[in-house]
Amino acid sequence: MGSELIDINELGGHVSDSSTYHLPHWFGELPPLPAFDIGPYHFQVTKFMVVELVVAVLLVAIFVPLAKRIKTGQPLKGRFWNLLEVFLLFLRDEVIRPSIGKDANRFTPFLWTMFFFILLCNLAGLVPWFGASPTGALAVTAVLAAATFLTVTLSGMQKFGLIGFWTGQVPKMELPWVMAVMLKPMLFVIEVIGLFIKHIVLAIRLLANMFAGHLVLAVFLSFIAAVAGNLVLWLGVTFGSVAMSVALNCLELFVAFLQAYIFTFLSAIFIGMAQHQH
Amino acid sequence: MKRNNFRGSQRRRRNGSFLFFFVVLMLSFIATASTVSASEGGGVNPLAWNTDLALWTAVIFVILLFVLGRFAFGPIVKALDAREQAMTDKVAAVEKANADARELLNQYQQRLADSEQEVRQMLDSAKADAQKASNDIIAAAKVKAEEEHKRALAEIDAATEGALADLAARSATLATSLAGKILKEEITPERHKQLISGALGEFSKN
Repeated sequence: MGSELIDINELGGHVSDSSTYHLPHWFGELPPLPAFDIGPYHFQVTKFMVVELVVAVLLVAIFVPLAKRIKTGQPLKGRFWNLLEVFLLFLRDEVIRPSIGKDANRFTPFLWTMFFFILLCNLAGLVPWFGASPTGALAVTAVLAAATFLTVTLSGMQKFGLIGFWTGQVPKMELPWVMAVMLKPMLFVIEVIGLFIKHIVLAIRLLANMFAGHLVLAVFLSFIAAVAGNLVLWLGVTFGSVAMSVALNCLELFVAFLQAYIFTFLSAIFIGMAQHQH
Repeated sequence: MKRNNFRGSQRRRRNGSFLFFFVVLMLSFIATASTVSASEGGGVNPLAWNTDLALWTAVIFVILLFVLGRFAFGPIVKALDAREQAMTDKVAAVEKANADARELLNQYQQRLADSEQEVRQMLDSAKADAQKASNDIIAAAKVKAEEEHKRALAEIDAATEGALADLAARSATLATSLAGKILKEEITPERHKQLISGALGEFSKN
């Protein structure tokens, strides 16, 4: 019964990426997003790509002027700029510096970019008709986690050398050589697998949070359409659904910040671990 | 300065190669993921993979990283550090100024205490001097008064003696004349009375 009333594919369309924009029907239809053929490669532009581009442009438009203001050395004027500075300083002083230590300044731009890119991508899902969050797609979160992974491994190898970094993954232990020969390779494998899993989980955590949040919202709202046939039921369910959706949207707003923070925080910790081996 | 420039260019070159490796590895990662990933399925598949989106995300993120690092976050990191340093310097300067002021205050307070002490000593010695001077004056006055008193007593004595001598002389003369008169006149009791009162009147007149 439920599966007939609520079409899971229809719901998924609200959450996942697509090459068309979904507007309320009285606005008419927007033409589908363009596709390009680059040689043999077919490249389809999607909603998420548009969102990412807008987010990127927005970030440049916001933070380049902020940099100009901070560079003057004078205290910032205006709530907006001060709010941004609060974000930057909180991340630097409470997240990045404690995790990384004295080399923190080198990684601060990367982690700031990561935080704000994820935050705005998360928040984009809460803007009506703009498109769901790009961070609800594996391709996006995987690339972001890969960026963290590459920063961790490349900066670690830069600091300790190619061999030093990878052998440094095994914790230093005082073992008799017989034990060491047996244990250390196993530990190495476990640690390296752990390194990969940590970053994969980084991608999955963000993906699951954003995807699930939007899906739950869509499910709550779909209840309204599901009972459209019965007026009394419809009135009651509509009221409940809207109330729950408002509450969930507030939760989503919080989750958008929380997940951006967690992603950045864990990235900082992983970078810090690569910078300070056991 | 030259060495700084050299270091700067070295760092730039290192960052450049870092970025290059970053991009190459990112692309190879995406290529691997796209071959491994499941083919596009219908419905809601949270793990659905879109290579185009991954490529696009990687490009956008790397460009964003570069642009923001170069024009926004890099300068902001430096500016915040500079501001922090300036604040630390200012606080140190203020603390030093405060310590200096406190030292100065101590010096002035010490000086004030010293001068108070000096003034008190001066007052004390002046008071002592004045006391001594007044004692001297009183003593001198006493001596003088004593002398005056003695002189006055001596004068009184002298005057008394003079007066007594005069009185003795006059009373002798008077007695003599009275005796002469008595001898010349026959004395009746009335005359006797008259003579005595006359002699007494003359005596009192003198």
